[in-house]
Amino acid sequence: MRCPTCLIHIDGGYHEISEHIFSMQEKTDADHITWINRYVSRNRTTEDEFEKLVKQVFETDDLKTWIIRKFIGKFFSKNPHYFLLKMQRPDRWTLLGYAYEHHHFLKQWVKSCSMIIANTDFEEIHHYEIDNIISEWHGEEGRFPAHHELLLKMGKSYGATLEDIYNTEPLEPTIHAVKTWDYICRNFSFVEGMAAMHSLELIANRKMKDYGASVGYFDPVILKDGSVTKETVDFLREGYEADVSHSEAALDLIEKYAARLNLVQEVQAVFFRSIEEFDNYLNARIERGVMIENEQH
Amino acid sequence: MKTNNTEGCGLCNATWGEYWREIDGDNMYFCCNICADIFETMVDKVKESTGWKKIDYVELNGNYSSGRECEARNGEDSFKYYFRTYSNGKFITFEKR
Repeated sequence: MRCPTCLIHIDGGYHEISEHIFSMQEKTDADHITWINRYVSRNRTTEDEFEKLVKQVFETDDLKTWIIRKFIGKFFSKNPHYFLLKMQRPDRWTLLGYAYEHHHFLKQWVKSCSMIIANTDFEEIHHYEIDNIISEWHGEEGRFPAHHELLLKMGKSYGATLEDIYNTEPLEPTIHAVKTWDYICRNFSFVEGMAAMHSLELIANRKMKDYGASVGYFDPVILKDGSVTKETVDFLREGYEADVSHSEAALDLIEKYAARLNLVQEVQAVFFRSIEEFDNYLNARIERGVMIENEQH
Repeated sequence: MKTNNTEGCGLCNATWGEYWREIDGDNMYFCCNICADIFETMVDKVKESTGWKKIDYVELNGNYSSGRECEARNGEDSFKYYFRTYSNGKFITFEKR
């Protein structure tokens, strides 16, 4: 078992994992209390009752659906993440903040995919990750540009220079998130690395509303109404069309190998930590945009 | 200083953890140091915005995800505001409503 907050490995079952988390809240550890408040309950219980609640949080016989539901609860609930609200009708500052911070996210993305490859001999995982690296980072000459290239073009369409995007240090939440993803993919099993990274692609999955999301990643009207640059339309449309296959195929692989390797709870724990980092990272996109708007950049 | 969170943490009302901090002369209960940091910074920002020397009561509605719509009171005076923070307590937004 793995702690969903500090990610340490714990021998045993739900009794031991809940005992660890309960003891950390008794020490008033902010990170563990945050996880309890967000995913278990805000109301203190006995230690025995807490163990039952923790077990309920993790127990599932359908890991893919569990991940999608938790992701929707985190980002697409009736109070969606603030970045999603901004993206319904994005202004230039939000899109510039997106370009500057996401450049660093994608640099880590390709490294994470590579480490996942390095951590397994399963060839279908190699094929999946190589395909992902090509679409996100490399592109295919004459056929399609990389997601990264489209991102940079979006930034340029709002006045950013490539030199400035490359030379601007990411904000602290982006640095923290990137380091966490690097650590997970470098040190944990390939399937945990996949869960940390590829579950995040659900953010742009246009089927999320079918699964119960209150909003989409953006209002599709902006692809047609002229409110954003052509380069932004190209960037958003590529993700809009690609990420359904990316994220859901990845979830199928995660579900398959987590069961085969008996790592379902570990995958869930890493997923919890990853979406917390992603939450802060999305806020960093907004903060960067505000900094550019206020000429503090 | 009173808040509408009467059951638990002064910021989020959770009843886990136990962290005490003196805010404006009152020993207040929080679930963790991050909630205390957020609350303390919020109080400083309200005072800075209003020029008040003290705050009697704060009504907080919302959560970490959507941010918090608040109303602070000092005697007969009232100040409405909204704020959001990162998980570590750093403020992203603080604005008058």
